[in-house]
Amino acid sequence: MTGRNGIDRRRLLTSAALGGATIVGASALGGLDAEAAFAAPMPSLDPAISRSSFVDGRVGRIKGSTLDVVEADGTHRLIRLTNATSVWKLETVTAEAIETGDGLYARGVEMPDGSVAADAVWVNIVNLYVTVRGIERTRLHLSHGRTTLVGNIVDKRTTASFRGGALTSNLSQLKIGHHAQVLGAWRPADDSVDIARISVGH
Amino acid sequence: MACGSTSLWAGETSWFCCGSSWGPCGSTGTGACGTCQSGKNMAAWPNLSSACWSVTDPAACGENMPRRGCGSVVNVKHQCSGAAVCVTLADCGPNTQMWCSEQTCCNGSCRTHRVIDLTPAAFSAIGSLSSGLLPVYIYE
Repeated sequence: MTGRNGIDRRRLLTSAALGGATIVGASALGGLDAEAAFAAPMPSLDPAISRSSFVDGRVGRIKGSTLDVVEADGTHRLIRLTNATSVWKLETVTAEAIETGDGLYARGVEMPDGSVAADAVWVNIVNLYVTVRGIERTRLHLSHGRTTLVGNIVDKRTTASFRGGALTSNLSQLKIGHHAQVLGAWRPADDSVDIARISVGH
Repeated sequence: MACGSTSLWAGETSWFCCGSSWGPCGSTGTGACGTCQSGKNMAAWPNLSSACWSVTDPAACGENMPRRGCGSVVNVKHQCSGAAVCVTLADCGPNTQMWCSEQTCCNGSCRTHRVIDLTPAAFSAIGSLSSGLLPVYIYE
């Protein structure tokens, strides 16, 4: 996405937030590809709009198109979702997939009332360095630092990369003791992680 | 130290969480410098100290980046989009020697080896967290 398009997108989400737009998935905007929107950096060239903001916290309450997000220090931040907001939760989804209790990272523009009009929201996303401790057909047992973790293998979703190779859905090369990085979505209900991609190192 | 424009290094960047956070990130701590927070523009550098270097061992991949300590500031720029973010070094990492030969490309140009890790705040300023890796240039 070009800088010009980025500014157009930023203006769109800002005006949408100011206009009280209702929640619609990013896919509803034919001209805005969701993956491209995630990848687009927030432009910093438009002096009419304040600089981009970042929010890290858990969803405490959902009211219409606004998320009340509680940060680690207890601060409440209001995240406003618009037609231009891209939402990721293991894959690109619509805003309806966001639930109370979810963790999230949100990138957006701070509005005059202190809320953040979100450009992109990544729900429950984690990117963890792990060691493989056990392998089952539908899940992996992992250690992350001093804690243990279950990684769920999601049918038609989980892919792997071995020693820098191309992504594959074939996990048969995975061995106990492998050091790897897991990109996935945390499940608050059982503290496990749905694996989007596991990258095995040397 | 200001965020400069003198070329320092190039390679892949990944992202990691640190500080008080939710889910599995709740147990990660504040990094080698004791200041790391996911919500701030911070980074991990493989040559933060001699002890750090002995763990990350970038030389195993042929990378010999200079030492930069806690609090050093670098500018990380996406190789293709040109988006940049100014970050403060706050942790030791990534474990470069584990990812020798890995490469990340855009527009037909690739960067090899993981040479810096960014916090979610910093990584999302120049790309998508769901991509996991980005090709970057690093300046100081």
